Amino acid sequence: MTLSTFLSSTLVLGLLEAAPLVLAAIGFTLIYRLNGFTNVAYAENITLGAYFAVIFNSLLGWNFYASIIPAALLSGLLSVVTYLVIFRPSFRRGVGKTELIILSVGVSYFIRYGSRILFGNDLFNFNFSSTSYLKVFGIGVTNIQLICIGLVAVISIGIYFFIYKTNYGEKMRALADNEELAMISGINPTKVSLLIWFIAGSSAGLAGLFYGSFSFVSSSLGWNMILIVIMVSVVGGVGSIRGALVASAFVGIVTSAVNLLSSNSLYGDIVLLIIFIGILKVRKVRV
Amino acid sequence: MGLLSGYVIYSLSFLLIYIALATILHLQFSITGIVNFGLVGFWGLGMYLFALLQTKLALPFLPALILACALVGMTALLLGRVILNLDGQAILVGTLAFATIIEYLTTTEKWATNGVMGLGTIKMPFDFGRSTDQVFFLLILLCLVLLILYTAKLKTSPYGRLLLSIKDNEVLAQSLGKPTFRHKIIFFTFTCILIGFFGALSAPLYNYIFPRMIGPGVTFTIWIALMLGGRTRLLGGMIGIVATVGLFDYFIETVVPIPTQYAEMVPNFKFALYGLMLILILMFRPLGILGDKKKEGVK
Repeated sequence: MTLSTFLSSTLVLGLLEAAPLVLAAIGFTLIYRLNGFTNVAYAENITLGAYFAVIFNSLLGWNFYASIIPAALLSGLLSVVTYLVIFRPSFRRGVGKTELIILSVGVSYFIRYGSRILFGNDLFNFNFSSTSYLKVFGIGVTNIQLICIGLVAVISIGIYFFIYKTNYGEKMRALADNEELAMISGINPTKVSLLIWFIAGSSAGLAGLFYGSFSFVSSSLGWNMILIVIMVSVVGGVGSIRGALVASAFVGIVTSAVNLLSSNSLYGDIVLLIIFIGILKVRKVRV
Repeated sequence: MGLLSGYVIYSLSFLLIYIALATILHLQFSITGIVNFGLVGFWGLGMYLFALLQTKLALPFLPALILACALVGMTALLLGRVILNLDGQAILVGTLAFATIIEYLTTTEKWATNGVMGLGTIKMPFDFGRSTDQVFFLLILLCLVLLILYTAKLKTSPYGRLLLSIKDNEVLAQSLGKPTFRHKIIFFTFTCILIGFFGALSAPLYNYIFPRMIGPGVTFTIWIALMLGGRTRLLGGMIGIVATVGLFDYFIETVVPIPTQYAEMVPNFKFALYGLMLILILMFRPLGILGDKKKEGVK
């Protein structure tokens, strides 16, 4: 393998790898910015987004692209339900930050194994009506992967504009920075929180279904991603969408570079985790 | 000893190991406030190092145990130096990442660990014929009793008070001239060695060890148990483990007859129920089954 094919493969495969991660990290970082805790149950939002799409696509026979919309809406709804039923009452009861994280682990277990009871231990695949293979910089990719990347780009830019350029986004940021001040200014915290949890849940669901469309859907899809998602959000800077974007691209490129060099894909994750622990130390991030 | 033979004694030995791990987690979390989400990493490291030293280097039981604990201690010291002065959530993510790295390394480093094929056979330290398992059970019981006595003593000792003061207000403890970071690292290292020690003791019980045994499920099961039993209480870990692992892995899987076609669904129900129990406990009885006792700890 020459250096130029190595570099172009790394770049193309890396960006493919990173695309769903960007969505997952954006949603995660939004909840983190608003409520200030690591929501491990977010992993299950990713998984269920993929399952919802499987229901519409494989079981009901919808077109893959048509099933994206109900899947995104349903996973947004799921996120709102977990917020209303579990997290909001817990904030009100004054559950501490560490206990909240452990609580979210409980929610994660409940949803993951609950969905395994419903869906069984099987793996699911999406039905694509037509798959064609294309070459990008000499690297073989499918048209589905390219469309997914395009959609991810559109959706991330959309969320970015929503948060930084619209009235609602401003309210959202105000609430995250100082809840009391925001309330005095006439911002309704419940409405804004519901909106954030909905957007975060939808982008988690989208991440899950795109990730699943590259390989297959299993009940541990989100769980396998969550550690890297948390790391990306922490390293990229809490609440920073640009940071999440850069860190996700970095993850994708490092993973694909290590994968091209070694036979075992676990080495990519090991290298990443070590780099991330190092970054945590160097930046002394206040997560 | 008809009742305490074979599978029963094996399950009870693991119950004791889990109780020990929950007690150590209680030490780390309730006394110094360190959120260790990488418990299984230290446990698995102790287990694998011990197994490697015994099978590959043919070391006898005690030297292998001591060396494994020392290596776990060095790893803990290194990790502690890197992450312990960061804030709570960074420690949580860092330890979780550490445990994941250990799990992956046991899979990838096939030359040492045989990867997913499993490493074995790991021998018991002694041979008393048919009662070897019972004697090993008593050895674990003895270690657990010592651990619980130490935990009870620590809470009222001056050193325990120092650690509690770091947990409650680290800046205040610093201003009194206490080297808080150093104490945190030393205590973290010490407790991680204990975790590794019980990991090493688990290896002969398992006989054969696999990477999937050291997945994050172990850490979260023990966290759930500790929260359920009562994280601020000495016996909280024990009560929680009996109510979770004891009830499911021991009672339901061995005593209750489950038709074979449903057998693979049992773990799903188990973990879903663990999750539900944890949610209900944290929302409605945050201090666990045992709750709080006013005299406990230093106010």
